[in-house]
Amino acid sequence: MKRAFFIAFNEVKLYLQDRGDLAFSLLLPIITFALLYGAFGGQTMFEGTAYIVDEDKGTYSSVLLEQLGEVEGLEVELLTPSEAETKLERSDILLVLYIPEDFTEALVSGDKAELVFRQRGNGEQWGQVVSSIVRGVAEEINQEFQVRGQVSESLQGKGISQDQIEVAVQEFLAQERETPVVGVREEVLGGSPDFVNQFLPGIVTMYVLFAIAMAARVIVEERRKGTLERLLTTRLSVGQLFIGKFFASVSRGFVQTLILLGLSYAVFQIFTPLSFLSSLVIALIFAGTASGIGLIIASIARSEDGAAWIAVVFSVTSFMLGGTFFEIARDSAFYTLSRLSINVYANDAFNVIINEGGSLGDVGPQLGILAGVMVVGLLISRLIFRVMPGGK
Amino acid sequence: MAEEFLVVKDLHKSFRDFKVVNGVSFSIKKGEIFGLLGPNGAGKTTTIRMLSTVLEADSGDVTIGGYSIRQDAAAVRSIIGVCPQELALYEDLSALDNMVFFGRMVGLRGSEARAQAMTNLEMMGLEDRAKGKVAKYSGGMKRRINLAIALMGKPQLLFLDEPTVGIDPQSRNNIYETIEGLRNKGMTVLYTTHYMEEADRLCERVAIMDGGQIIKMDTPYKLKGEIGSPEQVTLEDVFLKFTGRSLRD
Ligand SMILES: Nc1ncnc2c1ncn2[C@@H]1O[C@H](COP(=O)(O)OP(=O)(O)OP(=O)(O)O)[C@@H](O)[C@H]1O
Ligand SMILES: [Mg+2]
Repeated sequence: MKRAFFIAFNEVKLYLQDRGDLAFSLLLPIITFALLYGAFGGQTMFEGTAYIVDEDKGTYSSVLLEQLGEVEGLEVELLTPSEAETKLERSDILLVLYIPEDFTEALVSGDKAELVFRQRGNGEQWGQVVSSIVRGVAEEINQEFQVRGQVSESLQGKGISQDQIEVAVQEFLAQERETPVVGVREEVLGGSPDFVNQFLPGIVTMYVLFAIAMAARVIVEERRKGTLERLLTTRLSVGQLFIGKFFASVSRGFVQTLILLGLSYAVFQIFTPLSFLSSLVIALIFAGTASGIGLIIASIARSEDGAAWIAVVFSVTSFMLGGTFFEIARDSAFYTLSRLSINVYANDAFNVIINEGGSLGDVGPQLGILAGVMVVGLLISRLIFRVMPGGK
Repeated sequence: MAEEFLVVKDLHKSFRDFKVVNGVSFSIKKGEIFGLLGPNGAGKTTTIRMLSTVLEADSGDVTIGGYSIRQDAAAVRSIIGVCPQELALYEDLSALDNMVFFGRMVGLRGSEARAQAMTNLEMMGLEDRAKGKVAKYSGGMKRRINLAIALMGKPQLLFLDEPTVGIDPQSRNNIYETIEGLRNKGMTVLYTTHYMEEADRLCERVAIMDGGQIIKMDTPYKLKGEIGSPEQVTLEDVFLKFTGRSLRD
């Protein structure tokens, strides 16, 4: 058993020595991660610009602009009427908010003030979001005015100065903002279902598969170089050799996974400590499954290129079938076919943990299948493994 | 008479229908250096592979140090050392790391493996470059390391398959001296080479193999005597006389 450990240790050492291999296998997940971050990193929040024509330029139009400016993710850009006209005309922008000339005046005199949206078509999603934000802000201003108006009306002639009324109303409104009567609370179950969560499992399983395929190549290389033959003239048994190679391969796949999951944990915050640990367990088991298959590849391949090709074909088929980048409808023929891919079970398990807030107990069947394939892979590869053609 | 340490009886091996080793029998005494000679493709390496338990023989019987290669392969492996014909090294590791790794594979503890590695590296004149990557070594240095690894664990029987191929006279001489030193300590060696003067110098007895069979086996002196005056003919003359002059490949 100790010898198996040295085999694994030696292989990891060799892997660390091979700069190209090391850079490739460690940098690639980081690069993928960076791309993922670039693509999805900032988009979990709405970001947009509100184009506004301020024809009023009065006290209350600036109050409105100020409040809009405070909304997170919303930029305010002022346009002149003619600019707005041309931009709308050319479809450069799809929605403009007009604050009419009499806006402040109307509010002060207690009349109805009106904001006008002009948009092309339905203004698209972005426009709809902006307009609903503006509506929300206008609503608040509305309330303030109504409260202030009604309070001062009912207190008129009771010897209370307008200033005092103003102070009391402001206090009351501030209090209301802080502890609203009807509050809205966002509850997120497990994690937030967004792009990263959707793609991460697929990317992780894909990398594990590639890593293990590379490990298969290394074994074939050892056979060609003669070190494998030499090893088997020592006291090392084929069984120990296998266990050693298996552990080396598992650790290789696991290191890559650790990088991807660790970075996701740190940057996207899609894990709780528990779901992170659970994901690592899944990754470890999947690395074992993939290593079992890697050993089969190592046992049947005659050359390194042969091993690489078998591995590539196998990996690509598995992650295509595995629904890495798209969902597979449950009643399709493709769904049945997809059950042949080991990635499916790993992806499923990751999804349950990351997106559905499940625990390891919920993914027992998936993990069982993965472990089963691992054992079968080990057995089959051991049966067909030959140090050299005609050898033991 | 010294005891027979290695006994090979009627060994056979075919790859598909191709008989590579076809009824080989010989034995080597304890402390003897035995030369296995023969043209390319004669079946020397295949024979060594079977004796070193890497390749399974189709039929025949082999005992090494009293252990059968069929029933006691593990015991056999614990008393043999193999220097393969092709370099079998981890090029990305240092010489020392290679030696220590294989030392652990033959069952040495860490400290013991390091100590033996250093002794062997010194013997091969490689102690200064012990920590350098093997990939950066010259051909001669790689050959010496290849041999040094076979010595890890102090085996009782060494299989040396063309240990001096493609190296300069200095490296070759170093290897000769190493082997002679080992012989003086009682090491038993099975040696293959295409350099006949090398076999003449080192080996007590040689077997000439051709087409999977041993066609001649005796001391170099007696073999030379068979075709002329032992002082005047060379072992190369003997070799060519018995194996013919036609090319093999
Ligand atoms: N695994 C194998 N499968 C098929 N043929 C093989 C295999 N190993 C060796 N052979 C063939 O067996 C024959 C003997 O090979 P072997 O390597 O034993 O010869 P050798 O005497 O060591 O030759 P050389 O002096 O060139 O090293 C060769 O023709 C070789 O091609
Ligand atoms: Mg040979």
